[in-house]
Amino acid sequence: MLIVKNLNSGYGKLQILFDLNIEVPDKGLTVVVGPNGAGKTTLLCSIMGIANIFSGEIMFNNIPLAGELTYNLAKKGISYVPQMGNVFAELTVLDNLHMAGYLMPRDEAKDKAAQMTDIFPVLKKFILRKAGTLSGGERRMLAIAMGLMKNPKLMLLDELSTDLAPIIAEKVMMEVSRLRDELGITILMVEQMAKRALEIGDTAYLLVSGEVRYKGKADSLLHEPELCSMYLGIKPPADKKNSYALPTPEEGSE
Amino acid sequence: MTPWMSSGLIYASGLALTAGSVTLIYITTRTFNFAVASMATIGFYVSYTGVILYGGLPYKYYPFVIIIGSIVGLICYYGLNRHLLRRRAAEITLMMSTLGYDLVLLSMIQMYTDFLTKTYKLFPRRVTMNIYDFELFGEKAAAFILPFIAIVFLMGLHMFLTKTKFGVAMRATIENPVLAGASGINSDRVYLVAWVIGGGMAALGGAFIAMAQTGTPVMGMFIIPLMFAGAILGGLGSLYGGILGGFVIGMTEYAGVFYLAQRFGPWVLGYRMGIPLMLMAITLLIFPRGLAGIPLVKLFGLLAGKKRGVNA
Ligand SMILES: Nc1ncnc2c1ncn2[C@@H]1O[C@H](COP(=O)(O)OP(=O)(O)OP(=O)(O)O)[C@@H](O)[C@H]1O
Ligand SMILES: [Mg+2]
Repeated sequence: MLIVKNLNSGYGKLQILFDLNIEVPDKGLTVVVGPNGAGKTTLLCSIMGIANIFSGEIMFNNIPLAGELTYNLAKKGISYVPQMGNVFAELTVLDNLHMAGYLMPRDEAKDKAAQMTDIFPVLKKFILRKAGTLSGGERRMLAIAMGLMKNPKLMLLDELSTDLAPIIAEKVMMEVSRLRDELGITILMVEQMAKRALEIGDTAYLLVSGEVRYKGKADSLLHEPELCSMYLGIKPPADKKNSYALPTPEEGSE
Repeated sequence: MTPWMSSGLIYASGLALTAGSVTLIYITTRTFNFAVASMATIGFYVSYTGVILYGGLPYKYYPFVIIIGSIVGLICYYGLNRHLLRRRAAEITLMMSTLGYDLVLLSMIQMYTDFLTKTYKLFPRRVTMNIYDFELFGEKAAAFILPFIAIVFLMGLHMFLTKTKFGVAMRATIENPVLAGASGINSDRVYLVAWVIGGGMAALGGAFIAMAQTGTPVMGMFIIPLMFAGAILGGLGSLYGGILGGFVIGMTEYAGVFYLAQRFGPWVLGYRMGIPLMLMAITLLIFPRGLAGIPLVKLFGLLAGKKRGVNA
């Protein structure tokens, strides 16, 4: 279980997150959604020891993480798929996978890399090409494969579906829920494809301007028309003929 | 070989190694290493000490040159650079700290030369190393041996960086330190290895340069602009670019001085450093990213286009 308690963090002196409290239950899929610039990536960066933590606690299975160096966090079984810069452009696809398996014995890394190319056949096709020459979607698939390779206890996923064709995005979403269901991996996922993410997620947080606006069951957030239309661009389900009218942003604010 | 060429090859091989050292340490740790000057000088004094005290050819002592240089690099990392990197110091701070380290090393070199003078009654403050060399095909043997050693060293480095797991991890860290860290690569170790290899390279380069020029306690300080120029010419982003940059700077200096002195008289010799530095400036004006940024494909296209009389 990952617990973030009263977290204040940012970059240099610039504070982005304010008194954030988040719980990521074991073997659950926790989804973080919110508008651009809300601080979703910063939350993952804070957990991963990349952003500066001003105050607050981050506990993973009762071990404090705040202040740890990034590579030590990787050793503790936390896998992070960044939103940007998530592949080594100068290395071949194969070397990228091997680097993702850096902490494993060589043979295991090779096996895992082979498994990944089975899940994403595109990667097999380009295995000796430099990752920098892949298309946006192919790169994203490589990044996901690198995240999956690591046998993680906890996965931090930042906007996996960006750049992907809808059909692949759906495949990736299914893969994420399979990770939780079959492998029992604890997942904290930031997602722009909010609707789909909230459908498969267990718990959800809505982050706005560095603060938590909503916390609760993932699909319940889908039934918060005001929040959904204001921050997530999701229209209320059309089939429900219940009381709420189409919300206008002015009404929705308070 | 033309007269300038044999000395030029020796000198340029040395500059290639030192410029490579500057680049390697810069692309890993963001530190523009001023101590490369004294590291090079130390390399020269190790080979000199070997030859003077134990005899034989200078080449015999190059393994020791590399080892001592690596140790000097290691001390710089653990004593200085590491603490500043941990505090995420600015590039300017990192750079100035190595200037301090360079001054410490320089004093130690001065003390060492005094020690040699007093204890062994030597004259270690102006040394011509190439009198310990032998002749090969009527040339200084160093003109063949040193480029060869440099190439072997760089091929070894290339193999290390492309074929070993740790070497690939080093390249991964250079490109994307955050992602490398998230993959479990210990950046601390990467930086250490960069300093160790960089120290060895700089010292070896210094030992090379002393085969072409007079070795003095301040020789590194005099050549450091050119070492930096080589690294900058190489674009400061790619190790191979830096090595090539150092080589080009070294060759242009010797060739330029030779032909210009023939044409305009020996007063040109006083301005010898200006020639490669001008080359650097002009190259950077045309290709702001240095040699590494020259789009070779386009260039060839341009040349091919010209041949066909097409305006590219
Ligand atoms: N390295 C950085 N240095 C300074 N400020 C940053 C840095 N990275 C992000 N920020 C700022 O922090 C704020 C939050 O950014 P963050 O990347 O966490 O948003 P996000 O919720 O992930 O947005 P998006 O949905 O666009 O990815 C933004 O205002 C951004 O400008
Ligand atoms: Mg983001």
